[in-house]
Amino acid sequence: MTRVSRRNLFAGAGGGLALGAAAGFGAAHAVGDDTTAARDAVDLTRSYDFYTGDHQAGIATPPQRHCIFMTFDMVDGVSAADLQVLLARWSAAIAQLMAGEPVGQVEPVRSGAVGTDTGEALDLAPASLTVTLGLGPGLFDDRFGLASKRPKLLEDLPALPSDQLRPGTTGGDLALQACADDPQVAYHAIRDLARMGKGVVDTGWTVMGFGRASAGAGQSTPRNLMGFKDGTRNIEETADLDEHVWIDDDPAWAGGTYWVVRKIQMNIETWDADDVADQQQVFGRTKVEGAPLSGRVEHDEPDFSATKDGAPVIPPTSHVALAAPENNGGTRILRRGYNYTDGINELAQLDAGLLFVGFCNDPASFIKLQTRLGTSDRLNEYISHIGSALFVAPPAPRRGHYLGEALFG
Amino acid sequence: MLQPRRSAALLSVSALAVVALAGCGDDANEGGKDEGSAGGATQVAITAVSGDDGDECQVDTTSVGAGPVTFTVANEDAPGITEVELLSGARIVAEKENVVPGLPEVTFTVTLGGGDYEIYCPSAVEEKIPFTVTGDAAPAPTGGPAKLLADGATDYAAYVQTQVDGMVVGVQALSDAVDSGDLAAAQQAYAEARPFYEKVESDIEGFLLPDADPTENSGNLDYLIDMRASSLDPAVGWSGFHAVERDLFGRQRITDRTRQYAVDLVTNVTALADVAKGLTFRAEDLANGAAGLLEEVQSGKISGEEEQFSHLDILDFAGNVEGAEQAFEALRPGLQEIDPDRVATISDRFDEVNQLLERYKDPSALGGYRPYTAALRKSDAPEMSRRVQALAEALAGLAEKVATA
Repeated sequence: MTRVSRRNLFAGAGGGLALGAAAGFGAAHAVGDDTTAARDAVDLTRSYDFYTGDHQAGIATPPQRHCIFMTFDMVDGVSAADLQVLLARWSAAIAQLMAGEPVGQVEPVRSGAVGTDTGEALDLAPASLTVTLGLGPGLFDDRFGLASKRPKLLEDLPALPSDQLRPGTTGGDLALQACADDPQVAYHAIRDLARMGKGVVDTGWTVMGFGRASAGAGQSTPRNLMGFKDGTRNIEETADLDEHVWIDDDPAWAGGTYWVVRKIQMNIETWDADDVADQQQVFGRTKVEGAPLSGRVEHDEPDFSATKDGAPVIPPTSHVALAAPENNGGTRILRRGYNYTDGINELAQLDAGLLFVGFCNDPASFIKLQTRLGTSDRLNEYISHIGSALFVAPPAPRRGHYLGEALFG
Repeated sequence: MLQPRRSAALLSVSALAVVALAGCGDDANEGGKDEGSAGGATQVAITAVSGDDGDECQVDTTSVGAGPVTFTVANEDAPGITEVELLSGARIVAEKENVVPGLPEVTFTVTLGGGDYEIYCPSAVEEKIPFTVTGDAAPAPTGGPAKLLADGATDYAAYVQTQVDGMVVGVQALSDAVDSGDLAAAQQAYAEARPFYEKVESDIEGFLLPDADPTENSGNLDYLIDMRASSLDPAVGWSGFHAVERDLFGRQRITDRTRQYAVDLVTNVTALADVAKGLTFRAEDLANGAAGLLEEVQSGKISGEEEQFSHLDILDFAGNVEGAEQAFEALRPGLQEIDPDRVATISDRFDEVNQLLERYKDPSALGGYRPYTAALRKSDAPEMSRRVQALAEALAGLAEKVATA
């Protein structure tokens, strides 16, 4: 009948569509190597498989350009069976969406019928959409009889130094993250999944991320809204992912990961009025090249012992120094953040920041890093952690199965 | 707390939620005696699978003898398929939703007379698979869902009539109280008259004075009776309930102008009652009407826009919900035969909305509910909106289902 495949519409284009802002980004700055644009080219026809039976997409996947994050809370009185049906329906729908297919009829045949899919992504390519599901600690309380299924390390994050959390932007029983190279594709996914959950889950809080603020394998390091490259030393290698990211000692959750989300508001107006030399001291890197202050080019290893006139070249309270693995006993987490804006705040200032997204196989890794950063990071003068949540991202299902199925075995 | 949900049975792996559906009415049972029923129901397996060209529904047999037939529906690995229906022509004989990969199989049993049917799998490569039942055709149904739905629509028409009649009496009482000059009595009469309108407003939307131009508000009864400041048409000016409301609650004064508003309201409501006389409804009108009333809750009441001077929005909210529930209850017996799961879901969600409304009941308050102040809106509107939208989504597909019964 009215089966329209977004993927099919673009099938003739092969892999040659190199669209998006990437080209302009590389060319305009004329920094780094000439291949920046090519490496960051967007192929809107690309799609990822949902049923890998391995890790969920949207974690180690090279970050797409846009990402929408939304939390959900179970409605009072719903049962474990309602949760089970929702996870199964969400899984099937996510498989469709990632393949560039609608989640049902847009224009139903029968009169009086409402559309199953809302339709706004119909003529759009898959755009590398990934939808990632997270389960929050609250799901394992006494409401659904799932306490015995709780992943070993899943607990609410403790209060951390410099936390300025706001009541409306913390926690959540469930989380979805829809990332794509086309923001409309990402929003459509979240919208239709939220709609599917009506009556079983209530929406919690949401952040609409634009512009990736982390690099994945093969991508050049993007800039956050402070204008700096952040995450130059992100995890890329499979061996590092295995060591630091994927859960391997908790059978039901093996291949999954713990997922930290922090909404970090940046006082960008104040930041912009700070002189760039000071900004570089705050970050510990140069602004244009992104080189550590001890080095010359971006990927030079920072030398934290280097001194000039008796003082460290990279200030110990700079962001780079505090976050570096060598200063944290080798602790690393996979970062996959996005820039966001909420418009203009009640003080008439531009309201924007970083949707920090981190993945690790032990939440203690994040807690350790953030404790250090929250205590003495010079950046704290310009940022506020206003939102926070921890989830477990279960492993991806094989065909014929669904996300979180281990909860109901 | 809420009662446990119906779907708890799904958790057990072997759960077979057998639902007996009188697909063709009682008479059909006799037609099916000679085949199938002797050794129990004929078994038919429907399996959704992912094929090379897309998701498909496979049926292990496409021809059975008349009599009871048990369909077992499973989704092996086809993410695009989420529901399966059995159709007789355009009529839905039975359906199962939430047929998704990973969930246990579900079954339903129907008694089928001879004839041509189809198994409908929306979004499958081949959506409709012919399914033949041999043997005696079922006699023309004398009962069944279509008849039950039609009966429900007739009952509902009587309910609408009762509300419209009550509205005429209510606005006359309001006019009398306004005439008396007693502000408190007039406010009380206003609160008593409002629910009649709110319970049925989606059924009388768009009613015009005889020979009126549908593009002009001057002859639009809904407008003349229920217009708000936000929808004020300068060419027509203030009239109706909310003009009276503004004087009684906003200005707290009764003037000659207030008296005139009230008299005009009686005139227009009486005209509405004349137009509404003998209204008949189809089942899908009830379903659409219920959905329309919930839209009214979302757009007018939870926003606090409806009763901006009296703050009786929760009273109106309750009226809209009651009207929607009446429409649903009228459809319920017929719908129960087509899709009992949906009935249970909608019923649960009405319960949740009604429990939410319970919180605001206050016998000492005008209209029986707490005034919907800006502070209350700020703290409670999100929860109200969520519960109402959950119900609205459950009701959204209802018109389609009952129209094809």
